[in-house]
Amino acid sequence: MNLGDLLRRWRALTDKDELEQQLDDELRFHLEQDIQQNIRNGMSPYEARLAALKAFGGVDQSKEECRDARGVSFVDNILKDFSYSLRVLLKSRGFALVVVLTLGLGIGANTAIFSFANGILLRPLPYPQSERLAELQETALKRGIDFMSVSYPNFLDWRQQNSVFEDIALHFGTNRFALSGFGEPVEIRGSRISQGLFEVLRVQPILGRTFTADEDRPDQDGVVILGYDLWQRSFGADPNIVGRNIMISSRSRTVVGVMPRGFRFPEVSELWIPLALTPQMFTRTDHGLTAIARLKDGVSFNQAQAEMNNIAARIEQENPVTNEGLGVKVTSLHENLSGDYREALLILLGVVGCVLLVACVNVANLLVARATARQKEFALRAALGAGRWRIIRQLLIESLILATAGGFLGLAVSVWALRLLLTAIPIQLPFWMNFGVDLRVLGFTVAITLITAFLFGAVPALQSSRVDLNDTLKEGGRGTSGIRSRSRNLLVVTEIALSLILLVGAGLMIQSFLRLRRVNIGLNPKNVLTATLILPRAKYREDDQQAAFFKQLLERVSALPGVQAAGVTATLPLSGGGWGRSLTVEGFPVLSVGQAPIIQHTVVSPNYFHTMGIRLLSGRDFTYADAKGSQPVTIIDERLAREYWLNSNPVGKRIRFGPPEDNEPWHTIIGVVNSVRHQTMQGDTRKSVYLPYFQIPVNGVSLVARSDSEPRELIGGIRREVAQLDPNQPVSEILTMEEVVAESIWQPRLYATLFAVFAGGTLILALIGIYGVMAFLVLTRTHEIGVRMALGATARDVFKLIVGRGMKLTAIGVLLGVGGAAALTRLMHSLLFNTSATDPVTFILISLLLSLAAFLACYIPARRASKVDPLVALRYQ
Amino acid sequence: MSKQADLFKQGTLELLILRLLSSGSLNGWDIMQRIQIVSGEVLSVTPGALYPALHGLEARGFISAVWRPSENNRKAKFYGLTTRGRKQLETQRKEWERFSDAVALVLRDA
Repeated sequence: MNLGDLLRRWRALTDKDELEQQLDDELRFHLEQDIQQNIRNGMSPYEARLAALKAFGGVDQSKEECRDARGVSFVDNILKDFSYSLRVLLKSRGFALVVVLTLGLGIGANTAIFSFANGILLRPLPYPQSERLAELQETALKRGIDFMSVSYPNFLDWRQQNSVFEDIALHFGTNRFALSGFGEPVEIRGSRISQGLFEVLRVQPILGRTFTADEDRPDQDGVVILGYDLWQRSFGADPNIVGRNIMISSRSRTVVGVMPRGFRFPEVSELWIPLALTPQMFTRTDHGLTAIARLKDGVSFNQAQAEMNNIAARIEQENPVTNEGLGVKVTSLHENLSGDYREALLILLGVVGCVLLVACVNVANLLVARATARQKEFALRAALGAGRWRIIRQLLIESLILATAGGFLGLAVSVWALRLLLTAIPIQLPFWMNFGVDLRVLGFTVAITLITAFLFGAVPALQSSRVDLNDTLKEGGRGTSGIRSRSRNLLVVTEIALSLILLVGAGLMIQSFLRLRRVNIGLNPKNVLTATLILPRAKYREDDQQAAFFKQLLERVSALPGVQAAGVTATLPLSGGGWGRSLTVEGFPVLSVGQAPIIQHTVVSPNYFHTMGIRLLSGRDFTYADAKGSQPVTIIDERLAREYWLNSNPVGKRIRFGPPEDNEPWHTIIGVVNSVRHQTMQGDTRKSVYLPYFQIPVNGVSLVARSDSEPRELIGGIRREVAQLDPNQPVSEILTMEEVVAESIWQPRLYATLFAVFAGGTLILALIGIYGVMAFLVLTRTHEIGVRMALGATARDVFKLIVGRGMKLTAIGVLLGVGGAAALTRLMHSLLFNTSATDPVTFILISLLLSLAAFLACYIPARRASKVDPLVALRYQ
Repeated sequence: MSKQADLFKQGTLELLILRLLSSGSLNGWDIMQRIQIVSGEVLSVTPGALYPALHGLEARGFISAVWRPSENNRKAKFYGLTTRGRKQLETQRKEWERFSDAVALVLRDA
């Protein structure tokens, strides 16, 4: 295309009026020449004109073809179609509003859920070449353990022997550290990490350096690295911070570096101290570390796994006692982090996609109905020279405008919905989750908007364009073709089926959640306040000091007004805490480490059971006399008691913990309490034992206190008592026990809520759909109904006719939906608790409920039909 | 009429228009008349085919138009060949001759 062409095309667009005028003049000249010739040939002026017009053919069609031939008309026409569509839509504002709202909510919900999936599953971890990062875990497949944390000596062997990783590094999870010396003592989340962790992640400090290998040894580890936020917050972004000494949990440490902004690892840590372990401190049977590695260039995960298998086998050979049956598992770090959420997110994406699909079906339904009413308009346009493609295009442009408006509304809705969803997540989001709107989210929104426009626009557009000029213009707008009503029926059936699937899914999720909430935790969370206190080891070095602190604190808190009872525990129920140890029972065979049963094990103070509402079934509670130096005692739970002493009283029997060859002291059982859910509501209750806190003190505990009334009122008093004992001691995570319970099931709660909202929305859309189709049916068949009534049909017959039609569609939809649900709910098996994915009661109840709702949606139009006055109906049109 | 329009493929009509305009500029009505007269009433073209063809040729730059008075002193749109149009006429004419020679050969010898 040369410059002249461009100019001409540009002129054609800009000087449209002039060109139109010229086209007009040119064709008029032609007609007049013809007329004059006809007159010269002896016709009357009237005849001459008629003959000329007849010879010319369709003037408007010729004009349209001339415009087409000019080539610019494509752009021109699209612009025209746009403005025409806008005018049409503005004229039917109510219709446009309903469509845009429906689509906006549908697209918004999809974008919000997609943002979640994007932030968790798709966005790479915020490190260079993060796809090369792996997590290494140990396995004990023979004992049914898929993965467990790593022991230090095993890590040392891996690091030394492997050739597939650039390096392997360790961290010890997230812990709490007290930062003091700057006003109020504050608690910081931080981690103990091995030398090399930042290098594996490829993150460099913005100030100073990372840890050296020398600093990763006990007694040389008096150093600390700060996170950016912490540095800003607590040290006023002091540029000379490196080299300064600060007090971390009552120990002085030298700051050696500051990490860049936004960097937190693992999860939410923002302070790092050296791991400083030795194989003597942390043996092969102590598991508790997390290993992160970076694959060498060109090495695949499979190759790495193969080599680690060999290394694990070698270690097992060399250490048959401790490493019997232990393996190594290499997984992608990102997959490992996001694994917990993957399934739920994918299911939610499917669910929310269904919602949008139903929204599309509804809009398509509306468009078909509207197209029927607009048949005359299309016929007129066809008569004026618009080709079939032109009409389809114009309708698709209308759909596109509606969808685009819906898309913009959807983006706004998603931002709002995302904020709402985030408030439903009670945990601090880990560093790597980021739910912002990025290009991928925008691309997704644009894509679903276009797909949506096509989905709901294509069928009506294709149908409307198939107009028979003569019939339509003559018929005066009445009459629905069989094809059209068939496709509307199809739409209704689809809607019913999809909403049934979603409703069944929601029903199962809600049922599962309710069952989860009714789970017997084994304690009474009402009116109990919990708080975490971690005494810095540097200050409370001896067990006795720790015990003395908590003894005084418990005396003071118990004396507070409103406090019924108070106690401490090393692990709060449902917080996933507690640690497992192997168990040996006196009088039963001694098993090796690899075979001995693992029990849950924690330490609690006297009165802990009473405070938490855990029942003492037999024997006695711990007392302050069960202290260091006294006879080692233990309280076991019901499940353990039943396993070993089903028909006898366990009180007085003896058990011991740890590897049998360690010869730890025997503990005498003094009591039995009911079982408690220590890990999660969903999981099984592990058999557990309790040891007396004052016999085996630990520095970090949860304080629990039962109040007469609202437990939050105790907060001030507890803080005061702690401050009086030690003004530098922080108190953190102050929650009521009911909050702890609620937080432990936030995921099932969120999923159930989302399911219910989406299914409810779909149900409403489906009912509007059925109602619309039935009402339209009555409207277009008023004449026929009149004839029927004139011929003797009763109001009841007519009512039955309409309702029967609606219920037939409903029945087909329900049948298809039940089939679909049976196939699809299986996918959500892992999200369900104590609920079968094909629970017949849910299926039947939901089907009945949906049918009833559909009946109501048909009822109103059917009533209207039965009240038709035959005289009026026959005169109608 | 419709049969003839079918025979009268777009390219052929364009070739005829270009040939007619090569001897001087003409308006649409003139072109229609001449096609009919020159072809001995065998070929006829409708306005519905002619004008889109003219506008297409103009859009592609083979012909250009001016408005000037016709014989009976009415303002009419007169089309004339451009340089590109002349080249186009040559190419199309050669193609047509090759085509019709080929058809003639087949008809004679087959």
